[in-house]
Parts: sequence; C-alpha cells; structure tokens
Amino acid sequence: MSAVTATVSEDKMGARTKPAAPDEGARLGFRLTLPAQILVLFISAFPLLMQLYISVTDWSPLSGVGWWNAWEMWNSFANYTDLAADTRFWSALQRTAIVMLVCVPAEFLLGLALATLFADDFPGKRIFYSILLMPMMVVPAVAGYMFFMLFQSGGPVNDILSRIVGTPITIAWLSDPNLSLIAVMVADIWQWTPLMFLILLAGLVGVPEDQMKAATLLGANAWQRFVTIVLPKMKTIIIIALAIRVIENFKIFDTLYIMTGGGPGVATETISVYIYKVTTQDLIWGYVAAIALAILIVLSVVAVYAMKHMAKAREVPA
Amino acid sequence: MKRSVPFEIFRYAAILAAMAVTLVPILWMVSMAFKPIGEWSATGADLTWWPKQPTLSNFQFVFGHSTNELIVALDHTAVKPILSSLLSAVFGTVIAMSAGTAAAYGLSRFGSGQNLPLALIQLRLFPPMAVMIPVMIMWAFLNLNDTWWGLALIYGIVTLPFAFWLMKTFFDDMPREIEEAALVEGCSRLRVFTRITLPMMRAPLASAALFVFILNWSDYLIALLLTTREWVTIPVYMASLSSSMTGQLYGAKAALGLIAAVPPVIMGIAIQRHLVRGLTFGALKQ
Repeated sequence: MSAVTATVSEDKMGARTKPAAPDEGARLGFRLTLPAQILVLFISAFPLLMQLYISVTDWSPLSGVGWWNAWEMWNSFANYTDLAADTRFWSALQRTAIVMLVCVPAEFLLGLALATLFADDFPGKRIFYSILLMPMMVVPAVAGYMFFMLFQSGGPVNDILSRIVGTPITIAWLSDPNLSLIAVMVADIWQWTPLMFLILLAGLVGVPEDQMKAATLLGANAWQRFVTIVLPKMKTIIIIALAIRVIENFKIFDTLYIMTGGGPGVATETISVYIYKVTTQDLIWGYVAAIALAILIVLSVVAVYAMKHMAKAREVPA
Repeated sequence: MKRSVPFEIFRYAAILAAMAVTLVPILWMVSMAFKPIGEWSATGADLTWWPKQPTLSNFQFVFGHSTNELIVALDHTAVKPILSSLLSAVFGTVIAMSAGTAAAYGLSRFGSGQNLPLALIQLRLFPPMAVMIPVMIMWAFLNLNDTWWGLALIYGIVTLPFAFWLMKTFFDDMPREIEEAALVEGCSRLRVFTRITLPMMRAPLASAALFVFILNWSDYLIALLLTTREWVTIPVYMASLSSSMTGQLYGAKAALGLIAAVPPVIMGIAIQRHLVRGLTFGALKQ
C-alpha cells in the first residue's frame, strides 16, 4: 500500500515541475528521436519508392542507363505477370514453407523439452545452460561451414553412421537433391533450438509454484499440470517464440547458402537464395524489385493482422 | 519440488545427449583448425577425430600467405577481412546504439516518436534480401560500396530495432526518482539525460552494445552484396578460401571460422542475462 501512495505523490511532484518548462521535454524528445526517425525514413520511404519505380521496368545495372531513367524501359506490369507464372519462384516459396514447417516445430518441441528439464535447480545447471546456448551465438555463416564439413561424404556424420552400422557409409548428403534439404534443416535446428530453449525457459520459470503444488495436492499428474497450468500461463511467450522463429526462418540464407549454394540444382533454393541468384547472376533488377515488393506487401499484411491479433490478446486480462 | 531418482537419471542422460549434439559440430571445427594438411584432408576410414600432430600452420597460412606444407599461396591474407569485420561491426554498433539510445529515452520519458516501436519491428520483419536492390543502388550512388563505413551504416540501421527496444525497456524499468530530484534542483532535461541517466545506465548500455555487436559481427548476406574485394568481411573472405588446385582448404577455413566464432560466443555468455530481453524486443525479461 505504501509503495502505491509513494508513486502517486511522486507523480504529483513531477507534475509540479512541468509548468516551469512546458515544452522543454517535448522539444528534447523530438530532437532525441530525430536521428532514429531519419535512419528509418532513409531505409524505408525512399528505397520503397525506388523499388516500386524500378519494378515496372526492365532496368538492370548493365542496361547502360541510370536507374532514374528506368522509365525508358517501362514494361507495363510485365514483371508482376511474369512473377505469377514463374515456377522457380513458386517452388522456392514452397521449399521455404517446407523448411519452416519442419524446423520451427522441431526447434519448439526440442526447446520445450530441454526447458522443462531445466525448470528446477540441479547440480551443474549453470554450466550446462551456458554450453547449450552456444550454437545460437556462433556466426551463422561459420555454422554453415561447420555443417558443410560434417556432411561431406567422407566426413564425421558418415563416420559415426559407419561405426553404428558396421559397414562404411558414404552418403553424399550435400549433393543428393533429396538429402541436401535435410542436411540444411539439421543445421538450422542445431543453431536455433537454443533460442527456443532460452525463451521458453524464461517463461517456464515464471509459472507460479504454489499453483503447481496445489494442483499436485488435488491429484493432478505431471502431464495434467503441464496442460492445465503451464501451457495457458505460457501462451503469450510461446506465441512470441514461434513468431520470432517463423520470421527469421523465412529469411533463411547464410547457413544454407554456404552449405549448398541453393543446390544441387535448385534442391535447396529458398526464397532468399532465389532472390540472391536473380540479383547477382541474372542481374534483372527490375524483376527482383517486383519480387521483393510482392514479398514485402504479403509480409506487411501478415504483420498488420498479427499485430491486431496480439493487441486484442493483450486487452484480455491474463 | 523434490524429484525422483529415475527422473534425475533421465534428466542427466537427456542433457548429456543434448550437450553431445551441441558440441560435436563446434569441436569438429576446433579440431580441424589445428590439424596438419594430411589430417584435415583425410576422409572416410582415415578420418581423425582429434589432431594427432596439432599444428598452428592453418593460422600461419591465413595470416601469412603461405606455409611450407601447402603448395598454394594466398593473394590476400585474413588480416584485412578481420579488420573489415571489426570496423564495420564496431561502428555499426556505435550508430545503432547512439540513435537507438537517444530515441528510446525520448520515447520513454517524453512520449516522442510514437511511431518508432512499430516501424522498427517492421524493419526487422522484412528479409534483408527484399530491400537490397535499392540499398545497392543507393550505396553505389553514395560511393559506399565495398567500404567498411558503408557496411557500418547499413549495420547501424539493421540493428537499430534491437538497440532501441533494449534501451527502451531498460529506461522504462529505471526508477525516476533521481532524475526528478535533479530536475527539481534545476538541471536541464538534457543535462539530466547526459550527466545522470547515461552514467547510471552504464551496465545496461554495455550489454545492449555487446548484443548489437554480436548481430553485426554475424552478418553474411549484406557483406556478400555490398563488398567485393577491398573490404570483404571474414565470412565472405572464407568462401574465397578454396582453390582449383587444392579444392576446399578445410584447415584454413576452420582456423578462420574459429577466429570469427570465438568473440560472439564469449560476449554472448557474458550478457546471458539480457539475451531473452534482446531477442524478444523487450517483450520478455529474465
């Protein structure tokens, strides 16, 4: 009670100091936020307009005219109609979805399982915790290189398999179109399960212990306690963790590109790899701009929908 | 809660299995980095899990053009890529932290820039690949291509959301009594911010800066698109470490990978306490 009254009186005190300099705070606030506003504008407004402009032309950096003269190469909306018929684009999108649908749930379940093991104290907890978090701190490109080495046909993964089976195994993981996607997903799960573990453990620790004890006394078993108490309490945290991984997984590039370069053929070509290849190899930037804008628009719609949904969830008291 | 013995056995078994999966890829790279050529190029049955004759020749190779073990020599040593990674990540962090901290304080205390939280989350949502065309054109126009300062600028913008959100939650959590007392004493609001708030927030600032540095240091895609020769960063340089004569230079790549991996892992462990807050845009605290 006393803490509450103290805050109120401080607020009054703060209010009393304000009239002395009515807009000093507002002016300082404006000046402090200005650099960030400029950077955001610099990277969003102008580039978006430029992208929109280029996307309705055939412009490429090799076309010999500056991008501002791209209107000379106006192609009505051919880039967008091409995109609708671009099977390589759609299969890249589909592959990105498959990677996401395998990796994110796998990371979530493994992370949740690990988090439940770490929910209470036990000897060695801190050191195990630190080590288990290491993969997410490894530079993704370096992680990609690690798994590139591990999955060589004469490499350690096959060596372990050979020892288990007893006969030499030489699976060409990265050059087999069916297996390369699996290898890439294994690398992603290795690197990002720790993130799920970290976030979900933070949520798990916040579950009130007295409720758990009460439920135990009432005869609830571990699974019932988990479903009726832990999961509802962790709902928001689970949504946040999944949202972060879905967003980041959609962008998947570094590890994958180093391991397979999107190959063999297009076997591991996800959306980022596809755009990268069209940008740097085919150099048709007008078309790339159209792809990029299409993705940005779809993502924005999803984002607005998700934010509204989350705002609604926040209004309901937990 | 008291746990049963079988549960404890299960727990340790599961954790040890997870530790093995976690560590094998890392240790394999460490092992490769210290293997002589005969061992790092061995495959199949000749595979050695741990270097029989540990050597520093891989490090010698990436830093000094050549070693007497390898017939190939490098055109460029790893020194400049390491410098490039370091400069771009450090100055990118400076840009993100300065703009982010100032904006976070402006919003947290004076309610300015209400649009920033959402705008910055959106910035993070979009794949960098989808905005790189205009960035490449702009950077070429501004003569920023293939420079560490050009990389630093884009890194500063890309990691601004994290700097802003982290500092915002730190400022929101900070008790305001001292600031208000200083205001009553007649300090200007700017002076309160620079002379009282910032020094008090030294530890959170350091954690946020380390967090942002790790993100900048971890970049590959942006450097791949914006640098070509002079100022390539470590991951981009690594990819060039394969020659038609020797194929993949596993040992040299592993040595370089180790150099790239060590700083963020150490920093990450140092700021473990704040990782959750940083990664969830302050939505969660530990």
